[in-house]
Amino acid sequence: MTNIPVKKPKSQFWLSIQRINKNSLALASFWIIVSLYLGAIFADFISPYSYDNETRDYSYCPPTKIHFISPSGKLTRPFIYGASSSFDEYKRRIYSEDKNEIYPVRFFVQGDKYKFLGFIPASIHLFGVDPRARIFLWGADYRGRDLFSRIMYGSRVSLSIGLLGVLISFFIGLVVGGISGYYGGKIDNIIMRACEMIMMIPGFYLMLALRAAFPPNLNSLQVYILIVLIFSFIGWAGMARVIRGMSISLREREYVLAAKSLGISDIKIILRHILPHTISYTIVAASMSIPGYILGESGLSLLGLGIQDPQASWGNLLSEAMGIMQIKFYPWILLPGLFIFITVIAFNVLGDGLRDALDPLLKEEGQMKPKLSERSETKFAG
Amino acid sequence: MINYILRRILIAMPLLLVMSLVTFLAINLAPGNFFDSLRLDPQFSEETIKHYESLYHLDKPVIAQYFYWLKNLLKLDFGYSFFYNCPVKKIIAGRLLNTLLLSVVSLFFTWIIAIPLGIIAAVNRNKFVDRFFSLISFVGLSIPGFFFALLLLYFASQTGILPLGGMRSANFDSLSFFGRIFDIAKHIIIPTIVISASAFAGLQRIMRGSLLDVLRQQYILTARAKGLPENKVIYFHALRNAINPLITVFGYEFSGLLSGAALTEIICSWPGLGSLLLAAVRAQDIYLVMASMLMGGILLLAGNLVSDVLLAWVDPRIRYD
Amino acid sequence: MKIQSKQLNKNKFYALSILKKLPLITVVFLFLSIPLDADNQINQYGGQIVLATTSDPRSFNPILAKETSTTAITGIIFEGLTRTNGETLEIEPNLAKSWEVKQDGLNWVFHLRDDVFWTNGKKFTADDVIFTFNELIYNPNIPNSSRDIFTIEGKEFKLKKIDDYTVEFILPVKFAPFLRGMSQEILPKHILEKSVRENKFSFTWGTDTLPKDIIGTGPYKLKLYQPGERIVLERNPKYWRKSKEGNRLPYIERIIYLIVQNQDTDLLKFQDGEVDYYGLRGSDYPLLKPKEKSNNFTIYDTGASFGSNFLVFNQNTSINPKTKKTYADKNKLSWFLNKDFRRAIAHAIDKEKIVEILMNGLGYEQDSAMSPSSGYFYNPSVSKYEYDLDNARQILKNAGFFDRDKDGIIEDKNGNKIEFNLYTNSGSTERIQIAGIIRKDLQSLGMKVNFMALEFNNLVSKLTATFDWDAIIIGLTGGIEPHFGKNVWDSSGQLHMWYPKQDKPATEWEKRVDEIFNQGVQELNEKKRKLLYDEWQVIISDELPVIYTVLPASIFAVRNKFENLKPTPYGGAFHNLEEIYIKEKFKK
Repeated sequence: MTNIPVKKPKSQFWLSIQRINKNSLALASFWIIVSLYLGAIFADFISPYSYDNETRDYSYCPPTKIHFISPSGKLTRPFIYGASSSFDEYKRRIYSEDKNEIYPVRFFVQGDKYKFLGFIPASIHLFGVDPRARIFLWGADYRGRDLFSRIMYGSRVSLSIGLLGVLISFFIGLVVGGISGYYGGKIDNIIMRACEMIMMIPGFYLMLALRAAFPPNLNSLQVYILIVLIFSFIGWAGMARVIRGMSISLREREYVLAAKSLGISDIKIILRHILPHTISYTIVAASMSIPGYILGESGLSLLGLGIQDPQASWGNLLSEAMGIMQIKFYPWILLPGLFIFITVIAFNVLGDGLRDALDPLLKEEGQMKPKLSERSETKFAG
Repeated sequence: MINYILRRILIAMPLLLVMSLVTFLAINLAPGNFFDSLRLDPQFSEETIKHYESLYHLDKPVIAQYFYWLKNLLKLDFGYSFFYNCPVKKIIAGRLLNTLLLSVVSLFFTWIIAIPLGIIAAVNRNKFVDRFFSLISFVGLSIPGFFFALLLLYFASQTGILPLGGMRSANFDSLSFFGRIFDIAKHIIIPTIVISASAFAGLQRIMRGSLLDVLRQQYILTARAKGLPENKVIYFHALRNAINPLITVFGYEFSGLLSGAALTEIICSWPGLGSLLLAAVRAQDIYLVMASMLMGGILLLAGNLVSDVLLAWVDPRIRYD
Repeated sequence: MKIQSKQLNKNKFYALSILKKLPLITVVFLFLSIPLDADNQINQYGGQIVLATTSDPRSFNPILAKETSTTAITGIIFEGLTRTNGETLEIEPNLAKSWEVKQDGLNWVFHLRDDVFWTNGKKFTADDVIFTFNELIYNPNIPNSSRDIFTIEGKEFKLKKIDDYTVEFILPVKFAPFLRGMSQEILPKHILEKSVRENKFSFTWGTDTLPKDIIGTGPYKLKLYQPGERIVLERNPKYWRKSKEGNRLPYIERIIYLIVQNQDTDLLKFQDGEVDYYGLRGSDYPLLKPKEKSNNFTIYDTGASFGSNFLVFNQNTSINPKTKKTYADKNKLSWFLNKDFRRAIAHAIDKEKIVEILMNGLGYEQDSAMSPSSGYFYNPSVSKYEYDLDNARQILKNAGFFDRDKDGIIEDKNGNKIEFNLYTNSGSTERIQIAGIIRKDLQSLGMKVNFMALEFNNLVSKLTATFDWDAIIIGLTGGIEPHFGKNVWDSSGQLHMWYPKQDKPATEWEKRVDEIFNQGVQELNEKKRKLLYDEWQVIISDELPVIYTVLPASIFAVRNKFENLKPTPYGGAFHNLEEIYIKEKFKK
């Protein structure tokens, strides 16, 4: 018998990765999300200004035009003109370019100081202009703050709240659900009733009530942590229910029975044998839940109870834009809404793609049809 | 079956009780009470306010207040709304109906759109149509509802066709019976679009996924082999079974709609329960909040029960004993 | 109108002379002459006015509820003995047709009208006045705010019925705002005495009452209330007031209030013609002004609005009985009690830019405790503080506040970093924005300010009960009578925000303000009163217990469908609602 080379069969996991690669939408979403998070990490560098840098004379300045053709008609390095403003007869601010002042756009310039990654002091920015002028790529808000910079800084809050919130609530949900399903009986009963209770109270109002309950003399970091914790508290229950369902079916598997007969402790069994099989569902559910947290943060900000000024979050930037005047006269101010939209849609598409790709794995774990009150996708914005 | 229903109702009681207690405690966690806002009015003296507070038992410990509320509840007295200065019953009734109307209409449109689109998507899996519908659903799912509502209102005002919020026009009383129905219909369009936009997305995906699952099954293969026309295979055999998950979602969606959509209601000035509850929570109008939460909880449990029963009725494989 | 009738006569004369000669032409001329005068005989009655409000009324009982969403309604259903003319600000007879004052202002006799009927047909008499005061306002079982106004130094007014249409008021001390206070709504005895006897008055005439059961004497009565949607009022056909020409008022048949939950919706509805009136924010001006002609309305700018907006610091030095310490942190107290500290901050309020950015220039810098629109008692000669950050830094430095360790934050003499909380209520976008601007400027002075928006109830609880706050941005409503704000300025007042309910005045100047308010209310000579209140405003601007910010301009837009419109700052657009009528072509 000759040795016929046999290809080592590919694992399910690898097959799933291949499937995702074929789904161009999901792949695109993945890269969008990655670039958004990168943007968040490097926000200080990419933005020309700090989030708190304001010039009141430039209130609601429209996006600065970048010119590449000099007044004499030649192609040259990018530059901007100075801006001057006046009020027309209807008390509306009109901005015009002052062609006498030319400011070239420079790269890798010195600007507002910051601490990269929180501790490395730096002041270099990707681009900028002479401090006597202002470059507003996407316009300025009512206090003359650069919207582009604020959106970059805002992404830190909005993107991380989703990630952290999901991490915490899913961790809790996994552990609780795993234990509940594995042990069954009374423990299961109590835990499931507790979950049902939490899920019964409409998330939005519970969030409001909890938010109002906490002392207000918290600085912005503490408010941020508080919001993450509140979201996690409301979100873990749905996750727990689903994991519990999976846990119940998984505990009858042969390998679990084998492990039990070998005398391995319950905790080890849950952690080593049961929970790993819930991973695919968890990943999908996580990416489908993150949007809920992002939207929830914007809902809170709309009511003035979220991240406070001057810290920027997409939620509070959007709530500043929610007005007829803004839509009609200063439409650039609505960009944070677009960012929320893009991020949410990217997570949804990615989650959906993951679900399709991990399909056989999910089939094996036997739980993909959303059942009654077992939804782990938390809804926050009313 | 009857046994099952009765058991469910029985279990619901303690659940509601604990939920109400948690809600009551949560509301009272916030410092102060409703009457604090009166303190800022230069014309109210401290004695006046203390009088109000003892009138409504607000000077007693929280647990005692909870039992007062419970006692009144048994007499079907939902308490008094400080904010509106009238019994809670009167305020809630009208608003509840309005929200119910909006929810039913939204749910109706959600289903009308989601189910056909889901079927088409499943049947044409991975073709352009499927991808396109997926994209639309994701778009619907991803726009923040309040933002979408504002944009719609603005465009409505530019075009002038649709009314700008509210439920009835100023001259509602002078309209004929059909005129009134038409008037309310005009007003309900924008909030319905906003709510349906996000709701239909999830439903469409579930319909698609469920139908795909069913279409993979053996009995479908058999039916096709037997020579049944494709139409009959899909709409008669497959759909009947694919509907199941949707029915279970139905109950949950319905009660979620009832207390949700608060921000949308506010932007569209729709006089519903959501906006009422939001204002009540912020003003610490305790009894109004408790009654609304209770209503929401009851409807959630009822909705769940209804869909579980419907499921058993539709799917003979399911037994509840 | 006079010119038109002269023309008619002229034409008639001309026509008559021709009549003898050319009958056909005469007929034609007569025909032509008539339409010139059609306006004279228009029917002013009929039509409706549509308004919008952002919140539901809380009650239909004027004694119990005092917020504007309620008083807008009760103000046209009920009336008082006197009323303030929205144009001249003078006190006019209303349900009382005349009055005399004797005994140095302690004894007032009112002669009531004898032609006033309640909407259920019964006659209005002195019994109703006595009932309103003795059984309602002074009833210890009925919590109401009117009692606090009509109780001076703990003593109540005494009322005596002289006859069915004459009532005597006996005041314990002189009370200068007495006549203005007599705009207090009078309620019907025969309807309400039962609920008072059964001690159920606090629950009477709530928003669940049937409209036909709300009985008043005013120009309108309640027709319909749909919670969350609208309120409809209709004309009272038996209203006693008549126009100069003898027409029974009011003219407008119906008033509809639409309840919108959102100011922007109100704006859109006005723009599109559904609503007849809109109170503008400065930021709305560029949107509405260009549409004045095309959308058929007029914008009225009546000057500064009433009331006040300010930044207040916690100066409460009393001891919390539970913790045995001051409510506020004692270091922070030492800064806030320092007048130079507050002075420096006053120089850091960029009022000009706040008005420019937030109100499109349609606002006023506020320096005084009373609004410039309040008329007689307004004192413009108070201390003003220019926006000057360098000056502010210098003042702070001289007072011992500067950055000793070069970390960007200034410290006090003891090395404590200047850091404190700034709160305002989450429901007011404008205040939140003002707070943001102020915070930024204080930061450039080197202070670390933590801003937080709180729910209104929470904020008030801090101000009046728990006292755990550092700095708050808030506002108060106000009017033309300084005494009605006594609760704020008297050191024992509940709204003496920086240090409420003092047992005795904590500072010399607070002592003087107490004296001023005590004397001012009893001083009947208008000029002497003005001197007192002028002094009060100067003291406040010098001592800076509150640091004023800005007042929005009172601008409103009214659809061009009304005649007899006389907008004023105090009265708004419709203070003379009963005389206003709708042009023929706008009646539906």
